[in-house]
Amino acid sequence: MGIIRERWSRLRGWFGFGRRDDDFAEELRFHQDMLEEKHRTQGFDAAAARRAARIELGGDSQIVEQWRDQRGLPALDMLRQDVRYGLRMLGRAPGFTTAAVITLALGIGANTAIFTVVDAVLLRQLPYAEPDRLVTVGDRAADGTSSNVDFTTVADWRARSQTFESFALMRTWLPTLVASGEAEQVPAVRVSWNYFDMMGVRPALGRGFTADEDRPDHWRVVLLSDQLWRRRFGADPSIVGRTIVMNDREYRVAGVMPATFEPLDAERYYQRAQLWAPVGYDVSMRDACRGCRHLRAFGRLKRGVTIEQATGEMNVIREQLRSEHPANYDAGSIAVVPLRDALTGNVRRALLVLLAAVALVLLIACANVASLLLARALTRQRELALRAALGAGRARIVRQLLTESAILTGLGAVAGVALAWFAVQGIAAVAPVSLPRMDHIRIDSRVLAFTAAVAILTSVVFGLIPAWRSASAGLQGTLAVDSRTNIAGRSRARAAIVIADLVLALVLLAGAGLMLRTVVALSRSDPGFQSDRVVTLAFSLVGKAYAEDPAVVAFQNHFLERAGAVPGVDRIALAGQVPFGGNFDCWGFHAKGRTKPNTADDPCIQRYGATPDYLGVMGIPLRAGRFISDEDLTGSQPVLVISESTAREVWGTDDPIGSEVRIGGADRGPWRRVIGIVGDTHHDDLTAPPTAAMYTPQTQVTDSFLIAAIKSSTSDPASLVAPVRAVLRELDPSVPVYDVATMHARLAAAAAQRMFVMRLLAGFASVAVLLAAIGLYGVVSHGVAQRTREVGVRVALGARRRDILRLVLGQGFALVGAGVAGGLAAAIFSTRYLRTLVFGVSPVDPATLAAAAGVLALVALAAHSVPIRRALRIDPATALRHE
Amino acid sequence: MAPKTDVLQGTLDLMVLKTLETMGTLHGYGIALRLQQVSGDVLQLNQGTLYPALLRLEQRGWISSKWGTSDNNRRARFYSLTRAGRRQLDREAEDWHRIAGIMARLLSARAEE
Repeated sequence: MGIIRERWSRLRGWFGFGRRDDDFAEELRFHQDMLEEKHRTQGFDAAAARRAARIELGGDSQIVEQWRDQRGLPALDMLRQDVRYGLRMLGRAPGFTTAAVITLALGIGANTAIFTVVDAVLLRQLPYAEPDRLVTVGDRAADGTSSNVDFTTVADWRARSQTFESFALMRTWLPTLVASGEAEQVPAVRVSWNYFDMMGVRPALGRGFTADEDRPDHWRVVLLSDQLWRRRFGADPSIVGRTIVMNDREYRVAGVMPATFEPLDAERYYQRAQLWAPVGYDVSMRDACRGCRHLRAFGRLKRGVTIEQATGEMNVIREQLRSEHPANYDAGSIAVVPLRDALTGNVRRALLVLLAAVALVLLIACANVASLLLARALTRQRELALRAALGAGRARIVRQLLTESAILTGLGAVAGVALAWFAVQGIAAVAPVSLPRMDHIRIDSRVLAFTAAVAILTSVVFGLIPAWRSASAGLQGTLAVDSRTNIAGRSRARAAIVIADLVLALVLLAGAGLMLRTVVALSRSDPGFQSDRVVTLAFSLVGKAYAEDPAVVAFQNHFLERAGAVPGVDRIALAGQVPFGGNFDCWGFHAKGRTKPNTADDPCIQRYGATPDYLGVMGIPLRAGRFISDEDLTGSQPVLVISESTAREVWGTDDPIGSEVRIGGADRGPWRRVIGIVGDTHHDDLTAPPTAAMYTPQTQVTDSFLIAAIKSSTSDPASLVAPVRAVLRELDPSVPVYDVATMHARLAAAAAQRMFVMRLLAGFASVAVLLAAIGLYGVVSHGVAQRTREVGVRVALGARRRDILRLVLGQGFALVGAGVAGGLAAAIFSTRYLRTLVFGVSPVDPATLAAAAGVLALVALAAHSVPIRRALRIDPATALRHE
Repeated sequence: MAPKTDVLQGTLDLMVLKTLETMGTLHGYGIALRLQQVSGDVLQLNQGTLYPALLRLEQRGWISSKWGTSDNNRRARFYSLTRAGRRQLDREAEDWHRIAGIMARLLSARAEE
């Protein structure tokens, strides 16, 4: 209790509260006067009495000093002294200070920027109640994620599971909102009524869904996103309870979600949902069938249940269901994936790689500043020795030097945060759309705390070693002679630092090189179709007018005819989906006589519903038979075109043409005849094997959600968008157009994540190489300065330019050689972490490594140019007079 | 004359508190004088070190001080015991007695053997 009060008083005292010096001086004077008086009464004369009083009291300046130490906090005083002194020292060496601060700012800024992204994407809690218990559930897909499920299966899970508190469902939905004359495709999802309760979020206005609304024919109730509510309904609170019209149906508005609500993406390519309605299924519905897997399932685990326990239980349930309904479940297993992992999935590795890369940059920055400090310590040796001689302990000197390091880092951190602020804007600009939660990236207190931690660590790392060396040098070094051995030792330390710089820079260069090769390989890899001069735009035909397929087909024909006549349109086709369009339409594929014992095990093949010219627009080669033609009508023989992969997978080496296939259900629907085989295409991933595909005529399997693919006769396909839109508006103004993109842009988006990593790695590698070059330059030029006399003597004795060149380069190249050798070894070891990101090139590609080493060697040579010129210009006469 | 003894670390606080308890309000010089008198001039008190100690006791809330007028009509700073200081004195005195007792027993036991 007393101690705390004392601390508090002392802290107040330090800040100038409490008794002042003159107040105490008066108290002390009184004491001295009393002593004087005592001595006078004992018979001393005035002068002698004063002297005796002084002696008895002790030195008054020491007393005042002790009293002041008790009043304030002497440790803080010392710090203040060190800071003031450190600032003065740094101010006196502006070149050194600027170089160190810029170096640190680069290192700290890059780390802050990347941490900002990592924090937003990977670390920050999801904004739901107890998000650690939220998972996605479904059959385990090849990449470890959980795939879609059907309604009836989830109903069974609800009944049987003991490890889950609740399950929620979601399905995609693309309603067309027509308001004030403008049709708009609203990104929306339908969710089970308990979805929001499970997430632990409530509407800001109105109410959530009830169980009663989540039934067939009762589900036309919607919740609006805050954004949609503001944009389309003017933030009118009376919207709750009113009805809105979508697809010719009326929907009652139940409420508005808060602006802070973060919707889960229904599918990774879809935009964020802005509208929600109940799923509205029951088990009697056709869409609810076992095997009708088009729903995403989310679950909330009971408290204390682990992912492993839940997965184990769900697998048991899956086996039960499989034995009860063998035709509906293939041999497989369940994946229970934490929601955070499901959302960040493939981004995680890329971000961790970038985080490791910036850490390397920071290490290099530390090494460089340590090197600068070592060089400076040389010039300060006398000062430190003097301080040591005057009684400063080793700890006191280390403390002084560490304070200077901390000041440098502090300045570097401030500049670094400023730098990071710009860098974050840049990162956000080049970040792929698939990077989740990018809109939450900001520099806040968490990020600043991280920066502060990095800065403290940094100043200790780069400050402690030079400080300790200097302190010991100060003790052993003499004031008169500067010891040669000491300089040698220090040069060795600097050389080691430069080698470390080069090693780290080479690792980053190799990483950047591999990503560059990957991006190039991606751009060169053949997607199976010709993307040149092709633009696509999506529209949907929904509502009462298009309830029947013939109406849709008629609209399609009108559209193709009119849009095909637009000047500049070379060829045009319609399809249910296009490659890299972000859609999936996988249908069970049951070839007559070739089905598996359990038809649920038959392959799932991507279906493209196409019009006859699709092949021509996309430039996909025909391999055998014929493609869909105008002869394939609604009533005629149902036909099917397959890709080479499909032919190989189902028929092996047999000829599939003429074979009959059922798609969707194995026991229903017409038999469709295979009439042709076309080349393979990639559906959504250039780095994976081509996707097995089939093509059905729009006349026979009609899609309401369509993509027009247009081949332009000019090199500017985007210029066709406006006239084609006009054609659609003319045909029916209520048809919404969305998702307009050239095929080039679609392909580029698929490579965006790797492009992002490549760009950032290249940026970091550039900084690293620059820092390493600066470090190398420092050491070499310092070496030349040290050897001025030696060079002078050699020149005087007849050494030629070549000999001098060898002398300087010899030293430098030993460093570069060691750095490159170490860097290659480190790169071979560390680039394996890029394995999942690289494509079309081995993670230990010799050519890339050689190129990286070559670049580094060239830069190293450039760093030598100035010191070499200086060495060659040394005039023996001046050099010898100098000493 | 017996050799003078240095003030034992930590005992100065107790001495000051006790002095203020018996003498009431005193100025710094008065406390120093009293300590010397009581010890029969055996105690070697650097009078200057008394003041940081007084400041510390005040910071801990055990004594308080204010300016007043001395017997000879001079301005002087007077110290007095606070209630917390009185409690602290009791505690420290008790500790001191206990330790002194232990020491006494220990030393006399040695002498007997």
